[in-house]
Amino acid sequence: MDKTVWEKVQSLLPSIALRDCGMVYADTTEFMNIALDGRHFVIIRDEAERRFGMEDPKFWVKRCRDLETGEFFILKLVFHERFEQNIGSVAIQCYRSPEKESRILDLVRDDLRFMQGVTMRDTADNLVRILDMIRGKSLDNVIEDINADHRTYFHQFYPDILGKFIGACEAIAFLHDHGERHGDIRRDHIWVEHKTGNYRWIDFDYAYESTENPFGLDLFGLGNILLFITGQGVHTTHDLVASALRTDAVVQLEPADFSLIFPNRLVNLRKIFPYIPEFLNRVLLRFSAGTYVFYDTVEEMLQDLRLCLGRLS
Amino acid sequence: MHFKKILVAVDASENSARAVEYVGIMVGDTPGFEITLLHVERYPERDIFPDDTSWQDACREEGQNIRTFFSQAKAMLENKGVSPDIISIEYVKTSGGGTQRGSKGLGVAQHILKMHRDGGFGTVVVGRRGVSKAEEFLFGSVTTKIIHNAKDCTVWVVE
Repeated sequence: MDKTVWEKVQSLLPSIALRDCGMVYADTTEFMNIALDGRHFVIIRDEAERRFGMEDPKFWVKRCRDLETGEFFILKLVFHERFEQNIGSVAIQCYRSPEKESRILDLVRDDLRFMQGVTMRDTADNLVRILDMIRGKSLDNVIEDINADHRTYFHQFYPDILGKFIGACEAIAFLHDHGERHGDIRRDHIWVEHKTGNYRWIDFDYAYESTENPFGLDLFGLGNILLFITGQGVHTTHDLVASALRTDAVVQLEPADFSLIFPNRLVNLRKIFPYIPEFLNRVLLRFSAGTYVFYDTVEEMLQDLRLCLGRLS
Repeated sequence: MHFKKILVAVDASENSARAVEYVGIMVGDTPGFEITLLHVERYPERDIFPDDTSWQDACREEGQNIRTFFSQAKAMLENKGVSPDIISIEYVKTSGGGTQRGSKGLGVAQHILKMHRDGGFGTVVVGRRGVSKAEEFLFGSVTTKIIHNAKDCTVWVVE
């Protein structure tokens, strides 16, 4: 390792032994420690996503420290991955595109509804995205940590959450207006900032084949999040049966009350939470198996949600 | 509207081949018909390829597929007795000859409906493979959009 770089590592991270640092790579194809155009990063660890109770390591995403400034960053390295994603019974070919994410980072520069970062090319011309850390928690964790029964949650917390979710939908509409798609809209891809409480979108690198409805997948993702925040979680047939056995409550449910894509996920939440008003429940039902009318654009959904928020407030 | 002026929207799929065959059977050598085979270009997204070379190869392959389809479709119509004089071919470019780099989605149905309006076609024909409600929600459907939005014409959906 270069002596100057090693001195910087020692001053910033004195507990690290030289053998743990290895070489400095300017070509990130072989990644461990990285130098990009005069900036040096020391890798602290690989990032991972936690989904369905499982840790999913992302070995191409590195938490690191800038040796010059001491700041923490996330480095995303090039990883051209193709895989089949199953959404309910529908299989979709999915691709990981560093070019797409880099383009969107440029588009949303200084727009704090999105993660921020810059792209640098390594000596092998790979696009390395240097992302600012967002201090906070994912939206699903924020909702799950609210310690209240649903009625209290709905009346005391939900209007504020819906207002912020509307802001997040407006951010997605902005991408669509510029011909871009988020591509991987999930409740753990909204990061809620500790300091401000702001909702910020992360991870823009999923790309798909073009279709007649280019924004359908994004809309589907937004519908899922709306369902999650309105229900204070997901309500599956399994949970409903368990709850009915516990409380002796009888609720008549039909296949049309469930999700168009996930037939075990209840969408008609008013059937179990009767204080959810009709006007809001109607928006949810647009994502149910019983619907005949789909939202074509995020703006259509936003018009309905803004009215809901006005009436709830 | 001139109902004997027929617009057949095609891609290089088997569904389109069925639609062309059906039109051939219906029209045959009956006088007064005009048939236009229309293809609206939709190149693969650049984002799903690791580099320009592999993407351009895929675009070229798509272009070749539709050229082959057009000649087979013409031959199929002529085999059914349709005169070559009443068959024309339209190729609508929508993405600047394969230079589109973004994930912009261009509505094929929109282009078909514009051609129908501008060209005064009285009949629009599309092939359909049949998609589930879930697929229609996620991906959209050219056929459904045409059925919902076409005005002053007859729509033939060949399944």
